[in-house]
Amino acid sequence: MPLSNNKVADDGTACEANTPEEGKTMVDSLIKVVACHRHLASCVGGSTDSPHLRQELRQTRERAQKLTLSCRQHLTSRLRDKGLPEAERKDAELLWVAFSSSLELFYADMCKVFNMGNNFSLANTCALVQTGMQGDTHEVAARALSLPDLQHEGTGAQSDSVERQELSQLEQEMTQVDRTIEDMELKVNVLRWTVEARGPQNGELVSTDSASLTLMAGDEEAPGGTAERSQIFMIMVICGVAAVAVGISLSVIFLA
Amino acid sequence: MTIRNVHDCGQRHRPRVACLKKVEALVLEMQDPTSGVKSQTQRLVITTIPHALTGEDVVAWIAKRFNVDAAEGCAIGTMMVAFGYIYPLRDHKRLILKSDASLYRFQTPYFWPAQQWPVEDTDYAIYLAKRNIRKNGVLELHEQEQYNNLHKWLNHKWDFIVMQAKEQYRAGKERKKPDRVVFDCQERAYWVVHRPPPGSVSAMDLGLLRLIDPNQEESETSDYFRRIIIFTEQCIMRPRVKSSVSLGAIVKYITTYKLHDAFLSPVLPSNPWLTDDPAYWDLNSLTIDNPTRMRVERWTFSFGELLSDPRGRDGFRLFLKKEFSSENLAFWEACEAVKWGTASTIHEKAQQIYKTFLARGAPRWINIDGKTMEVTVRGLKHPHRYVLDAAQTHIYMLMKKDKYGRYLKSPVYMDYQRRATDPEAHNFTETQLAQNAKNRRPSLSPIILRQQEEEQQAKLEASGPVDLTQVMSKLDKRNMLKEGQK
Repeated sequence: MPLSNNKVADDGTACEANTPEEGKTMVDSLIKVVACHRHLASCVGGSTDSPHLRQELRQTRERAQKLTLSCRQHLTSRLRDKGLPEAERKDAELLWVAFSSSLELFYADMCKVFNMGNNFSLANTCALVQTGMQGDTHEVAARALSLPDLQHEGTGAQSDSVERQELSQLEQEMTQVDRTIEDMELKVNVLRWTVEARGPQNGELVSTDSASLTLMAGDEEAPGGTAERSQIFMIMVICGVAAVAVGISLSVIFLA
Repeated sequence: MTIRNVHDCGQRHRPRVACLKKVEALVLEMQDPTSGVKSQTQRLVITTIPHALTGEDVVAWIAKRFNVDAAEGCAIGTMMVAFGYIYPLRDHKRLILKSDASLYRFQTPYFWPAQQWPVEDTDYAIYLAKRNIRKNGVLELHEQEQYNNLHKWLNHKWDFIVMQAKEQYRAGKERKKPDRVVFDCQERAYWVVHRPPPGSVSAMDLGLLRLIDPNQEESETSDYFRRIIIFTEQCIMRPRVKSSVSLGAIVKYITTYKLHDAFLSPVLPSNPWLTDDPAYWDLNSLTIDNPTRMRVERWTFSFGELLSDPRGRDGFRLFLKKEFSSENLAFWEACEAVKWGTASTIHEKAQQIYKTFLARGAPRWINIDGKTMEVTVRGLKHPHRYVLDAAQTHIYMLMKKDKYGRYLKSPVYMDYQRRATDPEAHNFTETQLAQNAKNRRPSLSPIILRQQEEEQQAKLEASGPVDLTQVMSKLDKRNMLKEGQK
């Protein structure tokens, strides 16, 4: 799945997408935004909860709503088009399943954020759960909004009334997403059992992250420091090879 | 349409796990910087992560807060860990609170157990896919099985699941390293609570699925009254027994089975559900040569007990072979096969039984009275599952009254009693128990067990039933030999 560099700003606002590729890109962006939103939502109520976090959540939500609208328009128009060839219909149905699943995840996360927002008010910071998180989530939000950097508006403090306003707005957005899901179900008839996945069972990434593995390995009882050991082994092998090369070159110089 | 499987066991009507709200209040109390639990820093290879708690601190705080002793505090703390509000940093699969210097941390409220939202399989699939992406082949056996299952059932969403897993992984990489570690620990702890490894007791077990709201008032329509009338009529029609009689029966049952109940008396060698050691199941398997003493003793309680244990039936079959009345047990087993078998095989099985046992001059003719024979033969014209019920009951009573008593005094049974094994009780230490828990393996699949059963049955049939003609010919041969010797 070729995803462009996340720091490059794109103009993925509510523009009409007519080609299937643009539709796929929009759905991919929505999936990315939902993933980032989940990371942000997991910090609510914890030690990194702050007005900044709530603001980032709000911005991510707005972006997700915009993407939802454009995806919905695109997919509904494509799937209701009777003259669509079979292969393209299958593609569109796959996209539709991905879109509705991400909407469901998004809806679940919004419900949780709403509930936690009700329970954890930012005014009382000593009631926040000490979860061990320290850093902030600017980069995650930047990734979600596809911006190279994130500007924060306003000061840190947030009064009670502003919070309550935010929560009521969140409630409205939740009902909107719920209605979107239901509307999509009614308007477009996609039979789930006919949709088949194309990709492999196990996903693969190009780069593996061994650094966090070693940190987690130090955490576990069982010796999981194989990644660490393999790194040391590789370093030793490289040093050995370098020493052998130096030795050979010296002997060549000596003999020559 | 995605069917929203609400498997919350009716919790939305009447929550049974109402203690969750109280535990949440307790967790919030623990956060207080002045009067809460003392937090320390966890030192890892390169970084330090704050907000770690030691087990003994938590136990001490709980004991002081509720004014209870340390053991009770430990129990309450274990409950909090089992629900997933606190998670252990080492040995994350065992959800208990150890009151020593082992470290724990609070779970973020996003991952707190909630009743209004059931734990979605899609989320679990995404989590497993994420772990697979990070390092291929790191999933445990049960996780791999569930992953394959989910791949089958959520196949239509699978591309989305893999893509979402990749995106969540990439978004996680945007965070700083210590936060990434903390988030991974949090997620892992969440899934240990909500998808526990097989064999462990889960605190989130909500019991049977309840489909209706028990608090809802039922509208009094004519259907409702009809149901109430039928119910009361059936209550009146039920046969009644004096309480002295029924209580006497209960007392008799309890005194007989007291030592054989795993809840009331300790099981030898050890209860596998408690110690994770399957020796008890191996010693009581179906193909063992020397059954345990408890099992042999259970055969004396009643004839039904003897017949319901396949090993007991083997012994009884041996005894009956010596008495030349093994056709009774064979007929009883054939009738059971008809009763419990598939509907398509009933017809042919019934015909086979008629030819072998009931027809005039059959090879293994059973001795039932004329009236039962008439009823059975008439019923066999249109065989159904329970057509041989009357004959089976007759034979059962015959065996019970006549053969059972003799069996218990026979040398076959005495031999079993002599050879019965008396297993020693295990005495596992804490470390051995932990080792057993790690070595838990899934047992043989029931499909394989059924195949083995069928093979044994085929072997038994192939070894030849004892029918009268063969026996008579053997007796004749022996007589001829004796005469020959003389």
